[in-house]
Amino acid sequence: MIQLEHISKTFLLGDQAVHALDDVTLTIASGDYLSVMGPSGSGKSTLLNVLGLLDQPDDGHYRLEGTDTTTLSEPERARYRREHIGFVFQSYHLVNRLSARENIELPLVLAGVPPKDRAPRVNEMLERLSLTDRATHLPNQLSGGQRQRVAIGRAIIMKPQLLLADEPTGNLDSKSGADVVTLLEELNQQGITLLVVTHDLALGQRARRRIRMVDGRIDSDGT
Amino acid sequence: MRTADLLRFDFQVLNRHRFRTLMMLIAMSIGVAAVNLLTGLGEGAKSFVLGEFSMLGKNTLIMMPGKKETSGGMPPITGEAPRDVTLQDAEALRRVPGVKQVAPLIVGISEISFGGRNREVMIAGTTASYFSIRQLPIRQGSALPVLAWDIASPVAVVGSKVKKEIFGERPALGQWLKAGGHRFRVIGVMDSKGQALGMDMNDLIIIPVASAQALFNQEGLLRVMIEVQGSEQLESTRKRVIDTMIARHEQEEDVTVITQDSMLSAFNDILDTMTLAVGGIGAISLLVAGILIMNVTLISVSQRTKEIGLLKAIGASDRDVLQIFLVEAALMAALGAVLGLLVSEGALLAGRLMFSDIAFRTPLWALLLSVATAMTTALLFAWGPSRRAARLEPVNALQGRL
Amino acid sequence: MLWRDVFNLVWRSVVSSPLRSVLTALGIAVGIAAVALLTSIGEGVRSYVMTNFSQFGTRIIAINPGKTVTGGMGGMLQTDRPLTLDDAAALTRLPHVEHVVPVVQGAGTVKAGERSRRSDIIGANYAINDAWQFKLAMGSSLPRDESGRSRNFAVLGFKLKQELFGNRNPLGQFIRVGGIRFRVVGVLEEKGQMLGFDLDDIVFIPVDKAMSLFNRDGLMEIDVVFATSTTSAAMAEAVRKELILRHGNEDFTVITQDEMLKTLDKILTVLTAAVGALGAISLLVGAVGILTIMTTTVRERTAEIGLLTALGTTQRQILLLFLWEAIALAMAGGLAGIAVMGSLILLTQWLAPDLPLTLSPFYLGISLLLSVLIGLLAGLAPARAAARMNPIDALRAE
Repeated sequence: MIQLEHISKTFLLGDQAVHALDDVTLTIASGDYLSVMGPSGSGKSTLLNVLGLLDQPDDGHYRLEGTDTTTLSEPERARYRREHIGFVFQSYHLVNRLSARENIELPLVLAGVPPKDRAPRVNEMLERLSLTDRATHLPNQLSGGQRQRVAIGRAIIMKPQLLLADEPTGNLDSKSGADVVTLLEELNQQGITLLVVTHDLALGQRARRRIRMVDGRIDSDGT
Repeated sequence: MRTADLLRFDFQVLNRHRFRTLMMLIAMSIGVAAVNLLTGLGEGAKSFVLGEFSMLGKNTLIMMPGKKETSGGMPPITGEAPRDVTLQDAEALRRVPGVKQVAPLIVGISEISFGGRNREVMIAGTTASYFSIRQLPIRQGSALPVLAWDIASPVAVVGSKVKKEIFGERPALGQWLKAGGHRFRVIGVMDSKGQALGMDMNDLIIIPVASAQALFNQEGLLRVMIEVQGSEQLESTRKRVIDTMIARHEQEEDVTVITQDSMLSAFNDILDTMTLAVGGIGAISLLVAGILIMNVTLISVSQRTKEIGLLKAIGASDRDVLQIFLVEAALMAALGAVLGLLVSEGALLAGRLMFSDIAFRTPLWALLLSVATAMTTALLFAWGPSRRAARLEPVNALQGRL
Repeated sequence: MLWRDVFNLVWRSVVSSPLRSVLTALGIAVGIAAVALLTSIGEGVRSYVMTNFSQFGTRIIAINPGKTVTGGMGGMLQTDRPLTLDDAAALTRLPHVEHVVPVVQGAGTVKAGERSRRSDIIGANYAINDAWQFKLAMGSSLPRDESGRSRNFAVLGFKLKQELFGNRNPLGQFIRVGGIRFRVVGVLEEKGQMLGFDLDDIVFIPVDKAMSLFNRDGLMEIDVVFATSTTSAAMAEAVRKELILRHGNEDFTVITQDEMLKTLDKILTVLTAAVGALGAISLLVGAVGILTIMTTTVRERTAEIGLLTALGTTQRQILLLFLWEAIALAMAGGLAGIAVMGSLILLTQWLAPDLPLTLSPFYLGISLLLSVLIGLLAGLAPARAAARMNPIDALRAE
C-alpha cells in the first residue's frame, strides 16, 4: 500500500518557480500495475523519484506500507530503497566493469548478504532471466534487451514490493521491448507493484491503471 | 596551426578544466618551489657559515706548532709540540719577504674580576697588528698600543659582551680589571663581531702577548697569524715562512702553516654537496609532478577522443594533435614553474627580512635547472599520451573509441 | 556491506583503468621510496656515528679545564688554574672510579733509527686500554708507574709502528719522541679514523713525560671511567664536588659520555626526521595527484554513484567506497616504494657494507602509515563530493 498525500515539489529554474508536483494525492494498492504518462515537464519523473525515495517532497506525506517516509533519515531511506524498491532505467545503468552476474549481485553485496547466500539467489535469477550463459559477460558484450533484463534482475533480486520503471523500452527495438514488457508484467502477476513511466502510448495502455499528468497535477486517473 | 592559435586553443582547454589545471599547477609549483627554496636555504646557510669562519681575510696564513704526516686529517690544533714556537720565531717572520705583518697569539682562560663581579673569559695575548689582521672594530678607546713584543704592559681591550657583563652601563675605559693576580687597565672596547673558529670575539679580552706569557706562565705561542702582502704571494710566502722556521728549528719542519681557504674549502665542499643534495631531494617532487601530468594527459586524451576525431576530420594532422597535447602540458609546467618561483622567492625574501645576516638566495643554476627540469619532465611524460592521441584513427575516434 | 565485498568493489574499480591507477600509485611510490631512502641514510649515519663515538665505552666522564669556553677548545687553551696530575690522582680515590686517564695531546716527530714520522703524541697512562678500549696487538700497555716518576716507555699506534718498523718487531726498541728516548713496550691494534684523527698514527707516552716535553703544567683533559655500581649523573656530581673542593670553585667542565651520546643521538634523530620530511615534499605532490585523479574518477562515475544510491547505498557507504579507493591507491604506491627501496638498500648493504645505510622498520612503518594518511586526506574531498551527489542529477549523467 502506497499513499501520497498532498505532495508538492517546486524547482527553481533560473528565477522561475516550477511546480513539478502540485498537491498530488495518490493511493496505490499492493500488486497494482500503473502507467504514468504525460508531456515532458509534467512531473512524471519527479513523481517517480519521490516514489523511489530519491527525492524529498517539499510538502505532504508519503506512506510506504504504513511508514511515513518523509521523516526518515538518509540511511533509513537508503535501506527502504534497498529492501522495498527496485528501479529500471531507460539507459539500464549497468556498471560497465562488472559482469552480468556481478551487476545482479550488487544489491545483495550492498546489503551485506554473505557470499554463500548470494550465489543460489543470483543463479536462480540468471536462470529465470535466461541469462545463465551470459553470466560472465560484461555489459558491452550484451545486447540491449539482455542488458535491460540484467537491470531488471538487479532491480528485483532483493524482492522489492515496488518496481519503478522509467521508459524501460525506450532504448530497445520492438522485439526486445516486447520481451522486457512481458517480463515486467509477469513479475506484476507474481505480486509486485509495477509503475511504468513512459511516453509510449501502447505501453501505457497495457497498464491496469493509467495516470496522466499535466503541469505537476494528476489530470486523469482511470482504468 | 599558428602558434598563437595553438596557445589560445590550449588556454581554452585549461580554462575549461579549471580544477584539474589548478591541481597540475599546484603540483608543479610545489616541485619548483621545493628545489628553489631548499637550494636557497642551503646557499644561505653556506654563506652564513663561511662568513662566520672567514673573518681573517684572504691574505692570512695561520701557523701552529707541530706537524703531522697523516694526510687529509686535522691539523695539529692543540698547539702543543716538543719545540715551542717562540716570540723570537714570530719576530723573525716579520722579515720574511712577502710578509706584511705578523701577530703572535696565546689564548687562555682566566677568571677576571671587577668590583664584586667575577667572570671566566678567554684571554688572547697578542700585538697591535692582530687588530688589523682580524679587522677588529674598536667602539671606544683604542686598540693595543704598538710596543716591543717582549714588553709586558698592564692594558686590555675588552669584547662587547665582556664589557656588558662586567661593567653594565658604566664606562669601562680606564677601569682596572683583575685577572689571575694581575691587574689590567681597560683602554678599549671592541664592537660586536661574530663567532669565528670557536672563538667568540665578543667574549674575549685582548692583552699584550708578553703579559699573557706571564699570566699563563707560558713561553710558546698557540698560533701565529701572518698577513701576506698580496693573495698571489700567499703560496710562495707560505713556503718561505716554513723555510725560515726550519732554519730556526735545527732543520726540522715542526710547524704547520695553513691558509684560511684550505680550511674553508672542506667546509665549502660539504656545504655545496648538501645544497645539491637538498635540491635533488626537492627535484624528486618534480618527477612526481611529471607522472601526474602524464596521468592527466592520458585522461584528457581519453575524454577528448571524439574531439580528436573531429579535429582530424576537419583536417588536423597527427603533428597538430601532438602539438596540442604537448603544448597543453608545457603550458601547465611553465605556469606551475612561475607560480613555484613566486612562492619560493617570496619565502626567501621573508627569510632575508627575518634573518638579515643570512643571504637566503636561490643560486642561478638551481633556478634554471628547476624550470628546465619542470618543462622537460612535463614534455617527457606527456609525450606518450600525446602520441597516442596523435595516432588515433579518425573514424574510431569520432565514435569515442580509443 | 561485508569487508571482502568492499575490497572487491574497490579492487575492480582500481583495475578497471590500470594505467591510470599505476601512475597514480607511482607518484606515491616515488615519494615513499625517497622517504625510505633518506631515512635509511639518516639512520645509517646515525648508527655509524654512534658506534664511532661509543667505541671508547660509555662509562666515561671527561673533565676539561675552563667553564664557559665552548667547542671543546677548553683543553687546548692555557689557564691560570689548570687541571693537574694531583687532580687526576685525587679523582682516582673517589668511590666507583675504575680508571683515571690524564691527557695531554700534541704533535711532533717520532724517530726510530733512520726512520722518522711526524705524528700525534698523546700523554696518558696505563689505563688507556681499559678506558678507551684500545686493544693491544703486541706487548703491554704503559706501566703503572707512580705519578710523576714514570719511566720512558711508549706504546705505538698500528700505522706508526708500520711506518717506523715495517714488519720488524718493535718491542724493546728505542724511539725518540721530540728528542727524548722512549722504549717501545706495546703496539695497538688497528682502530681507524675518527673525526679527522687517525687513531693509528699516534704514540702514547706517560703523561708527565708529555707535559715536560710540551713544557706545559696543565692537563688538557681527565677521563674518568666508572664502575657499573653507580650512574653517570651521580659520578659526574661526585667528580664535580671533589674538584670544586680542590679548586675552590667550578673552573672546569664535566661532560659525561652518555650525556654526549644522548645529545648526539637526539640531533641525528632530528636530522633523520628532517631529511625524511624533505623527501615527503614529493608525497605532497603525490597527494595532489590522488586528489586530481580521484576527483576525475568521481566525475566519470557520476552515473554509477546515482545507480548505487538508487540501489539503496547510503551516503556513508559511497563515501567509504571512494575513500578506500584513494587509500588503496596510496597504499599500493607506499608498498611498492618500500619494496623497491627496501630491496635496493638490502642489496647495497650486501654489495657495499661500508655505506652507512640502515633500513629502519620504524621509519618504514611511518612512511607506510603516511601513505595511508595521504590517501585518506587526498581522498576525502572527492569521496565527500561523491557521497553528497544528488542522485537524480547523477542518474541523468549518462
